[in-house]
Amino acid sequence: MRRAMFFAVLLLVAEAASAQLPGLRRRDPLPPGAQPAPLLIGIDALRADFLARAGADKVYFGGDSSVLTPPAQATLQAQAAWLRQHPEVVVRIEGYADSSDTRDHALAVGARRAEEVRSYLVLLGVPAAQLTTLSWGKEKIAVLGSAPAALALNRRAVTVLVR
Amino acid sequence: MIARLASLFPVSLSLLAATPAAAQEPAAAVIAVPPLTTPDNSDRGAGGPAAIAWQATQLIASDLRSTAELMPVGPNQKDYYSYPEVTAPTFSRWRNQGAKFLLTGFVRSNSDGRFTVGCYVYEVNRGRELGRIGFAVNADDWRRAAHKCSGLAYTAATGAPAGIFDTQIAYVAETGGLTSRTKRIAVMDSDGTNQRFVTVGDSLVLTPRLSPKAGHLAYVSFVGGQPHIRVVDFDTNQQRPLVPTGGMTFAPRYSSDGTRIVFSMQQGPNTDVYVVGADGGLPQRLTASPGVDTSGSFSPDGNQIVFESDRSGSQQLYIMNADGTGQHRISFGGGWYADPAWSPDGQWIAYTRRIPGVGTRVGIIKPDGTGEQLLSIGPADESPDWAPSSREIIFERTGADLRPALARISITGGEARKVVTPQDGSDPDWSGVID
Repeated sequence: MRRAMFFAVLLLVAEAASAQLPGLRRRDPLPPGAQPAPLLIGIDALRADFLARAGADKVYFGGDSSVLTPPAQATLQAQAAWLRQHPEVVVRIEGYADSSDTRDHALAVGARRAEEVRSYLVLLGVPAAQLTTLSWGKEKIAVLGSAPAALALNRRAVTVLVR
Repeated sequence: MIARLASLFPVSLSLLAATPAAAQEPAAAVIAVPPLTTPDNSDRGAGGPAAIAWQATQLIASDLRSTAELMPVGPNQKDYYSYPEVTAPTFSRWRNQGAKFLLTGFVRSNSDGRFTVGCYVYEVNRGRELGRIGFAVNADDWRRAAHKCSGLAYTAATGAPAGIFDTQIAYVAETGGLTSRTKRIAVMDSDGTNQRFVTVGDSLVLTPRLSPKAGHLAYVSFVGGQPHIRVVDFDTNQQRPLVPTGGMTFAPRYSSDGTRIVFSMQQGPNTDVYVVGADGGLPQRLTASPGVDTSGSFSPDGNQIVFESDRSGSQQLYIMNADGTGQHRISFGGGWYADPAWSPDGQWIAYTRRIPGVGTRVGIIKPDGTGEQLLSIGPADESPDWAPSSREIIFERTGADLRPALARISITGGEARKVVTPQDGSDPDWSGVID
């Protein structure tokens, strides 16, 4: 039983994370009443709650761009609502570039994307002291390949709850 | 962690010093490379002078084959000559084979257990000596002496600086899954031997840049969280952050005299180019435009810096004076231009060009913005750096299997050739002439 419930949490997380992926269809929502009680504790529980309530921990960017799209803004508004209620949580915003970028420029672009997200969250009332940024450049590729869809999934900024 | 170069003692050979270099030839000139010889009484066993002489000659031929200007013939066992013939070769024999140049030499064991390696380069038609070089080396160091012999021949034939074959290449050695790579800074001799690691793989590392004589190395490390430039001193094996800052610093490159490092620092959404003394000091900010200014590279005289900037809306190449004045764009060919690297002879700037729908290729352009040529065919080539000869570029090529490898290509054209490394390789950097 515990095992089944744990899988349910994972499913929910996967569902939430994929909600904003470009080019992917939303799966059918879980049946009503299927929401399991969280089994996780501490930061893991906070992360699961954040994902469930904010809808996604990631936002995506256009090629060579750090402009926040309307879907990205909607995601960040949901993230900001959660973060305002959890001022004790330290957050790191991690920016990434896609593999078609060059090494040095990718670091700068990842930083610019993370900074864009940070500024928007601050604008929405999240205390600046709660937020740090980090660029991974074109390291830690999420989806392999040079197809446009793969590149689009790597141009991202991830809101990571640190502690 | 890295032992400095082992000792290589020049010895004087009995005849007088070299004559000036021959005029430069456009096509590859044939150079005969018969096996280095030994005195008659030499040990013929493994590890003895005869065995080293044969291996050294093969290495010299391999060095010269890697150049665009020389076409080595040999070594062939049948071309052995006697010890006295080292300084008195039978020129007619080589003239008949169409050789323009000839390299002779010897390996002799000394009473102290070391070896003397001597090389001579001749112009065959005139029967004229162009240069000579000799070293007393430990048994392990014959490769370096052989590279010096190659350099002697290359200098005599082209006028290019000596020592270009006895150099080092730093790169990022990559292992593990493609979405979770372990990256370590590696340094190897430019002939692919003597590979050693500078970092152990516990933190992500990028873009190693050797000081011109390879005594120091600057690189980007994620240790402690924020990417920042660290500098290693190979003499002391000490390392330190280049500048004390909590922010992101990256894209380091040494000036050709090794006294300054140009680098990039991020502040908020903005990245600018800075310069700082290689031993520390207060960084000086050189660019101030909104956007990303990065990947600075000094001209060989240290008076100018080429860098990339997206101030026009896309990444393009710009040149400025070393104090930040006189910034002007030099790339106008369409697409994005990145990763500039100024050649050691000052004639060219290598770059990565991103062409939408095509991919990335490496090319060269003159500092005045003319003469642009794409060299590699792509579709995923990047991070070019110059061989010390200024005639070749080393770069990173990602294959269809998505694994990065090192490759080199001549600026006069032709196919790129793979540079063999024990693991996958990225971010190559070729040192200058070490001594």
